Amino acid sequence: MKLRLFPFVAGLLLLAPPASAHLVTSGLGPFYDGALHLLLSPADLLGLLAVTLLAGLRGPQAGRWTVLILPGAWFVAGLIGLHAGIGFDLPWVSVLLLLVLGVMVAADAKLPAGAVAALAGLLGALQGLANGSALAELGAGPVAMLGIAGSAFVLALLVCAAVVSLRPAWTRIAVRAVGSWVAAVGLLMFGWLSQTA
Amino acid sequence: MGRIALLWIASLATLLLWGQSQAHETQPGLLELNQLSPERYEVLWRAPIYYGKPHPASVALPENWRPLGEPTVRQLPDSALHRSVVEVAGGSIDSSVIRFPGLEGTITDVFVRVSRLDGSEVSQVVRPFQPFAELRGERPWYVSSGEYLLLGFNHILMGIDHLLFVLGLLIIVQGRIMLIKTITAFTVAHSITLALATLGYASIPGPPLNAAIALSILFLGPEIVRVWRGQTSFTIRHPWVVAFAFGLLHGFGFASGLSTVGMPKAEIPLALLAFNIGVELGQLAFVFLMLLLVRAFRVLELHWPRWAELLPGYAVGSLGAFWTIQRTVMMF
Repeated sequence: MKLRLFPFVAGLLLLAPPASAHLVTSGLGPFYDGALHLLLSPADLLGLLAVTLLAGLRGPQAGRWTVLILPGAWFVAGLIGLHAGIGFDLPWVSVLLLLVLGVMVAADAKLPAGAVAALAGLLGALQGLANGSALAELGAGPVAMLGIAGSAFVLALLVCAAVVSLRPAWTRIAVRAVGSWVAAVGLLMFGWLSQTA
Repeated sequence: MGRIALLWIASLATLLLWGQSQAHETQPGLLELNQLSPERYEVLWRAPIYYGKPHPASVALPENWRPLGEPTVRQLPDSALHRSVVEVAGGSIDSSVIRFPGLEGTITDVFVRVSRLDGSEVSQVVRPFQPFAELRGERPWYVSSGEYLLLGFNHILMGIDHLLFVLGLLIIVQGRIMLIKTITAFTVAHSITLALATLGYASIPGPPLNAAIALSILFLGPEIVRVWRGQTSFTIRHPWVVAFAFGLLHGFGFASGLSTVGMPKAEIPLALLAFNIGVELGQLAFVFLMLLLVRAFRVLELHWPRWAELLPGYAVGSLGAFWTIQRTVMMF
């Protein structure tokens, strides 16, 4: 597949109807079900990728804060969504955030570590609320939410560290190129939402 | 820094696992269909005790299988054995689908074994995410192997106590060569006892075995603290010896995930090999992930206060102690 098709294909994957959202049954219990759920949710993964790439580009401090705040916010908001038990879905906000994060990565925006952490917290809270309310509808419990947050922690840690450790200049450009794809996917989703609204 | 990272991973894992006090209850279920006459089959359903309670899964036989007489239930120490006899019109059970309602909400695998009058025997594995078995004739060897490999892989990932022990070893071990030696020793040891137990040459009853495995985790707690105090011990100097010794115990634990009761004899070596490879792959994946995480902690320069560094050692030891006491009490 040619790389320029990536945003289009990714956009199609992300635009799967909400009805397709379900908790994956790993056969290994709710913790692993939750962990696998994040790994198999392209929209959640893309947001996580964008914010961790941004944090990685901004250095170890932004990476550290993001690694702690993102899964923390995800888990706490998830518990709130789980207990509130109401359908929570703000596609416009999520897509806008994805678009902004993608643009920031592509532009290598010189944000302070605190601002990156705040964005990570916002993303985590949005995703967590959406996940939590979806899990409540499925009758899943906090252990599945713990699996999602645990998975987010591990992924955030690995991606941030991988980007921070990049030394050659071209590797940073490659990261920014990935950011531009994320932005393109966000734009595609934004357009789609406008069409279907 | 690497050790701090591992300690914190251990600490987090311990906190996450604290609630799962009945760790590693993944004994498989077993459904045997023994042909008694051209149209009659004996159905034996062995449902393992699930976290101290009757297993939530049941067996739903095809509608055209007519029950003969009343089914019986016998309570065994570790399971409930349901027996019934059914008549199958036409005698052929091929393409029949047996369902296991309730299995999807559990972590239990079920072995399905069919023995026919002509002496042929077939087996397959049913997993919770696909809780039904479609009966067919002979299957290619690689299909069975794949099932057993996946079974082994899943078994170690669900084996919280095994993973915690490996994590404890990773914290104690110093240097790459020693790490390779230690993991190899653990692998060799548990492979030996897994084979011995599966082939029926040796066995240890479940309750004392589980208590001893918990003891192996408890054993590592003080060693981790010793490492952090800069002290040394036989375990710290030769972790591979401890890995080998306790690995022998853990191998018996792995064997509990592979039921060969009623399995065609010709299939046992293949099942054993594939299951063990699955266990090793799961273990390597876990070790590899831990090493990656350690590297990530180092790159991000995550530092912790000195007092916090001791916490994981105490946490691992406490969890080991809790399991040891709990499992010992359960023996009486």
